[in-house]
Amino acid sequence: MSTLMRRIFLCIIGMLAGLAAWPFAETTLLFQAGFPSYLVFSVFLGIIFGLIMGGFFGTSDGIIMSVKSNIISGAVFGILVGIVGGAIGFLIGQAALFIIGDMLIHSAKSFNTIGFPISRAVGWAFLGVFIGMIDGVRSRSLDKIKVGIIGGIIGGFLGGLALEYSRLVIPGMLFARLIGLLVFGLLIGFAYGFVENRLSFGVLRLLNGKYKGTEFLINQKKMKIGSSEKNSIVLLGYDKISDTHAELAIKGDNVVIKKASPKTIISVNDDKVDEHELIMDDVVEIGNAKFLYKFK
Amino acid sequence: MIKYIFNKIIFLIIISGFSSASLFADYVRISQIDSSRLLLSQEVKVYVSVTNVEGEPVGKLMQDAFTLYESPDSRNFTKIPDITGFQSMANYESGINFLLLIDNSGSMYRNMKGARTKNESDKRISHAKKALITFLKSISNPKDTVGLAVYNSYYTLFSGLTGDKAKIEDYLDKIMQPNPDEAFTEIYSSIYTAVDEFSSVKGRKAIIVLSDGRNQPYYKYTRKAHKTLGTKIFEYAEPAKYCQEEGVSVYAINFGPKSERKDQGLSKIALQTGGSVFDAFDPRQLNDVYNKIVNQILGEYLISYPATMEPADKKYVKVECNTATGLASAVRFYFSSTVFGLPLTKFNFLLVIPFLLAVALLWLLSNIKFEKKRSDPSIEVLNPGSAKASTNFFTLDKNKKTIIGGDPSADMTLSGGATKIKEKHATVAFDKVKKQYTIVADGNLTVNNKPVKTKLLEPGDVINVGGTTIVFDDGEVDK
Repeated sequence: MSTLMRRIFLCIIGMLAGLAAWPFAETTLLFQAGFPSYLVFSVFLGIIFGLIMGGFFGTSDGIIMSVKSNIISGAVFGILVGIVGGAIGFLIGQAALFIIGDMLIHSAKSFNTIGFPISRAVGWAFLGVFIGMIDGVRSRSLDKIKVGIIGGIIGGFLGGLALEYSRLVIPGMLFARLIGLLVFGLLIGFAYGFVENRLSFGVLRLLNGKYKGTEFLINQKKMKIGSSEKNSIVLLGYDKISDTHAELAIKGDNVVIKKASPKTIISVNDDKVDEHELIMDDVVEIGNAKFLYKFK
Repeated sequence: MIKYIFNKIIFLIIISGFSSASLFADYVRISQIDSSRLLLSQEVKVYVSVTNVEGEPVGKLMQDAFTLYESPDSRNFTKIPDITGFQSMANYESGINFLLLIDNSGSMYRNMKGARTKNESDKRISHAKKALITFLKSISNPKDTVGLAVYNSYYTLFSGLTGDKAKIEDYLDKIMQPNPDEAFTEIYSSIYTAVDEFSSVKGRKAIIVLSDGRNQPYYKYTRKAHKTLGTKIFEYAEPAKYCQEEGVSVYAINFGPKSERKDQGLSKIALQTGGSVFDAFDPRQLNDVYNKIVNQILGEYLISYPATMEPADKKYVKVECNTATGLASAVRFYFSSTVFGLPLTKFNFLLVIPFLLAVALLWLLSNIKFEKKRSDPSIEVLNPGSAKASTNFFTLDKNKKTIIGGDPSADMTLSGGATKIKEKHATVAFDKVKKQYTIVADGNLTVNNKPVKTKLLEPGDVINVGGTTIVFDDGEVDK
């Protein structure tokens, strides 16, 4: 899958996450009056919301890389992280909404058109931070967490704005919240894809074989390449590739590729190497798979 | 003393015009709602001021004198069963925010008896300024802030809230006599505007209005549209209600001579917002304005209760107070919106559909195969660079030579490369002995970043011709 497709997929998965979370959010909201406090209500709603969003976003890596087992494990781990992230995110988001809303509600006649959307958007942005972090925590990557936080803030903020403004355009909450959640998911996915690309250290594009055209973003400081599904870059359907064949590491601004074990063979520009600092257009050969290194 | 009693009687006559029920009634005002602990402990704190007909705080009320209600819509109120905290003399240490609102209509430039005068110091405006300077000097809490605005036909803000009282005194000197067109007295609309300007300020808020006459709306007397209000004429109830909602108390200082009819609406606004009316002729009263306001605030009651969970963007709190004069109440709201907002009116089973749809679509996505099937050998332009390629993809034929070059008749024509591209720059042909494709260069080219003249091509080899990156693939797929 190319990076463009990857971005599109992230957007679609984000929207599906929003779509799936919507009915659960609606159902929980109906019972607000039955909750003992805003604290319990926020934590509960956060758990439900985080669970669904986390589950969906957790599948993204597995789906994009076509690794079935990663889809399931990603979803399960995403759910667990989502529960925690959702609860914390919702609490902080609610606190932010209360504080800003309280400040703005008395200050403007235009509260409905400016104050409220801003309060809501800030609350959602905090929620977005924790939802965006899910995938990073799942893959235990600080860089991915950073990417997720930025994506989450943008997606959350704009999703919250979308909710309030669609509520002004279409009276009634039903579709406003759906639109808000779709935008939330879409933008977290989009922003994630966008920021991921910007913050990545380059791309390895597969030039041949079964997954020809797939682009692997170098988005973590250390990445392993091999045929096992535990690796960051999984190469299934290529001969002469070990379980863990090669490693990518970031040194300064540069990407270094090295052998994962003395037995494996890697070549760069047709020369066998143990370790090599990649430059633009280098051709990397790992087993039968050949990649072109592109710097972003 | 006789004069004092006489003033009282006059005052009571003025307010007796309101209604018999309110003649001796006490007033309740919610001066602030503190909902900062709502999320953590569900607690809401309400600062309540109870004042009598003279604007003095009604003390010694017990908890059972108060009943609290909450409403999500300001219509249907639910009684709060438990008041969790009650404190009289709620010691509020942060300062008070005062907005001085001065009548700057034509009549303020007459003397106190209403006659024209050229003597500046006789003019009402001079007396009003003096009164304000007295007031400014009596401010004892350094946390207090003061703002200044004037009104006639229009409302003009001279200074926002500041702790610098000397600055306000300077501004007083800048108040100039209005043009005849500006000489009307928009008291009600100006108070409304002042509350609006004030609404973003937190904490205790008081507007001190210095006025010498009645509300004389511009449009009512000229029949010309007002430049900001248009044809709207404000009733006294509008600023009164807005003040109550925003917890602003209004104190009026009357500058008109005793014989002139005072503005009843202004007196009503003052009373209903828990403020009071002062007589500018009585220096004792003027000196006491500040102390009276401070005492009123020190006499507030602090009531805490657990908030209800009814969904609402704003929650209305009603405080009912049963005093010796009867039942009085006040309503204010606090912000209570949740991250996802208000719920639907009822559950709809169709809501299950979007979830199922999302799961189904995700399942579909996860089943999309991005795998390539075995295909014919080919060359493909990955990045044309500065050149333009006639085709981006070309399927190779074992029995024919494939030409890459600048000639229009080449199989893959490249024009405008970074370096010179020959007419027949490179030829790709199938080596039947080695059963592999071979590239033979006529011009300069690299394969996998190495300059070559001839090379057996491996799948995934990257050929660079004049800056254009082309990838060779034999189309084979490993099992």
